[in-house]
Amino acid sequence: MKDTNLDLLKNDSIEKSYVVETQDLKKTYLLGKVIVHALRGIDLKIEEGDFIAITGPSGCGKSTFLNLIGALDQPSDGKVYIDGADVSTLKGNQLANLRRKVGFVFQFFNLIQKLNARKNVELPLAIMGVNKKKRRKEAEELLRIVGLGDRINHRPTELSGGEQQRVAIARAMTGNPRFLLLDEPTGNIDSKTAQGIVALLKKLNEEKRITIILATHDQNITNEAKKIIHLIDGRIEQTNFERGVN
Amino acid sequence: MREGLIKMKILDVFKYAWGGIRVRKLRTFLTTLGVIIGITGIVALLSLGEGFRIEMTGQFEQGFSLNTLTVTPGGGFMGFGGGDDEFYLLVNDTERIDEVEGVNIALAIISKQVSISSNNSPRTVSVVGVNFTQYSEIYGSTFLAENGSIPFSPANDTIILGAGIADPWNNGTLFASVGDEINITWATGPISNPITKSYIANVSTILKEIGGFGIGGPSDNQIYIPITTAQEFFDSEQCDQIIIQLIDSNQKTIDSVTSEIEELYDDKVSVMSPTALLSTISGMFSIIELFLLAISGIALLVAGIGIMNIMIVSVLERTREIGILKSLGMKDRNVLTIFLGEASLIGLLGGVLGIALGWGVSNVISLFLSVFMGSGIGGGFDMGQQQAMALSITPILTPTILLLAFAFSLVVCILFGLYPARRASKLNPVEALRYE
Ligand SMILES: Nc1ncnc2c1ncn2[C@@H]1O[C@H](COP(=O)(O)OP(=O)(O)O)[C@@H](O)[C@H]1O
Ligand SMILES: [Mg+2]
Repeated sequence: MKDTNLDLLKNDSIEKSYVVETQDLKKTYLLGKVIVHALRGIDLKIEEGDFIAITGPSGCGKSTFLNLIGALDQPSDGKVYIDGADVSTLKGNQLANLRRKVGFVFQFFNLIQKLNARKNVELPLAIMGVNKKKRRKEAEELLRIVGLGDRINHRPTELSGGEQQRVAIARAMTGNPRFLLLDEPTGNIDSKTAQGIVALLKKLNEEKRITIILATHDQNITNEAKKIIHLIDGRIEQTNFERGVN
Repeated sequence: MREGLIKMKILDVFKYAWGGIRVRKLRTFLTTLGVIIGITGIVALLSLGEGFRIEMTGQFEQGFSLNTLTVTPGGGFMGFGGGDDEFYLLVNDTERIDEVEGVNIALAIISKQVSISSNNSPRTVSVVGVNFTQYSEIYGSTFLAENGSIPFSPANDTIILGAGIADPWNNGTLFASVGDEINITWATGPISNPITKSYIANVSTILKEIGGFGIGGPSDNQIYIPITTAQEFFDSEQCDQIIIQLIDSNQKTIDSVTSEIEELYDDKVSVMSPTALLSTISGMFSIIELFLLAISGIALLVAGIGIMNIMIVSVLERTREIGILKSLGMKDRNVLTIFLGEASLIGLLGGVLGIALGWGVSNVISLFLSVFMGSGIGGGFDMGQQQAMALSITPILTPTILLLAFAFSLVVCILFGLYPARRASKLNPVEALRYE
């Protein structure tokens, strides 16, 4: 906690703008008549180029947090700013546009089964209205970057779990998003393949300065993260800086 | 981050929708089937209606012999609607009818289905046995020769061909011309053990094209032989109708002659004026139209509900996919368009296939009608035979009908697709992604 406060003070003093900023972020769900407090007040500032791992036991609110900072859901209380824009004031289309600044990667890949790898990667670009030639070029380039240059015409069913997740990462990176959000990206693939994914994420962060925020149990990933945020029961329990980043 | 307009291209939205259809071919086809049936009905209805309207116009332009009446055995229309099976008109009944005040000419007609053959393959047509002189006196404006002349004291083997018989394909490939010999074959008795008779007739005349329905009078799709030949060949004194020419076309004359003849035959005959006949036909046609309309309406309603049902299921099945699309920044509007796009593609497909099928069906119906009309005067259907007659009602497909059918197909699909599509577009992305 001490570290976080210091960090906040330091950044505020130089009036830095953050990629993501949350203030007293709360989320409650109504399960029947029971109120579930998924997030109980999260204050966090994420800078460009960060590599943040959010850890914590199952049900502690990791996914809920990612969904909120990815503009997929609205908070019950508190604020989320993405690139300085207050998410809670945005509606429908603006929210959809904002999601284009975020690259989401899910535990279960969530690729569109009927589309091949290239078309899956092109999809966000198609949604943005990018023309066919441009998006094809970008998709193929991204697939090469994630190491699937020879798999571009394969359908998800013809790819391994690790390969599918690489496609999902390539898809998340289309259109130069401000940051990648990955919800347990290695949670559904074997540890050896997972290491490859971790290496890829590290490369993207270091070489392309892509901001990465992910939720994970995976020791391999947390070892590579610059910052680890430990959530318990909807609160930040602890923030660690790894690898001497400051 | 790309700035500026973030707007998915409509073509890409449709392509995505098309992909959704392609992976569910069978289901899409079954969904489309209802639309196809509905549009088939509508197209058949409209194109036949159009054909009928044009035919009617032709009939009116050609005019009626307003001073004629047709007497047929039986109380109902054209012998339908009950009546006494035992009762029939005889050829020499004309003598009794001649006596009636107001009758100028009474003319007996024998009409049968026969098979004719020349050098070309045999065809079934309706043959009319009639006195040529009186016939042309009554129908002076339509019983006219194109080739040859109407023989007023014909030889027994004389035969006159309607324009549609001589030139059945309307392209100059003639079935027969003046001077040709034609073999006429008549089958009678039970179908299992028919007795056939035939004789060789000599084509003396080809009639001018008449058009219209040929109500009560000559038609393009008949052949004519002398009444005496008919009596002998068919070995019968019965006639199928007696045509009366009145001294004038006053309603008073029509009414008095009608009631007198009905009285004369104890109401066992029906007496009809050509206008009444036409209105009966047009009444029958309206019933067919109404029937088709009802079927198409029901089919389209069922199709609509089917589309709605399938789409609700499809939205449920694809909840996760919708969640993904939304997480990738797809706007509600585009999700709506995808599902409406699927619905309209079904509409388009149903429209195209429905129009094609409807055109086929209307031609089949018109063939059926032509058999009915062509032989109706003499009674009896002759299905299953090759009918190369020119059609009595030629269905017509106008651009308006095409457009209307398309529009209707689309409107139904979009209307019933709207609710599920809206539901899909309003899904919360997080919930949608959690959906199993
Ligand atoms: N849609 C929801 N409705 C009700 N409860 C929910 C919903 N989503 C999450 N929760 C609850 O909120 C808490 C946090 O969930 P989640 O963010 O998924 O945790 P994690 O990702 O860390 O496992 C859990 O108790 C979970 O059951
Ligand atoms: Mg989770």
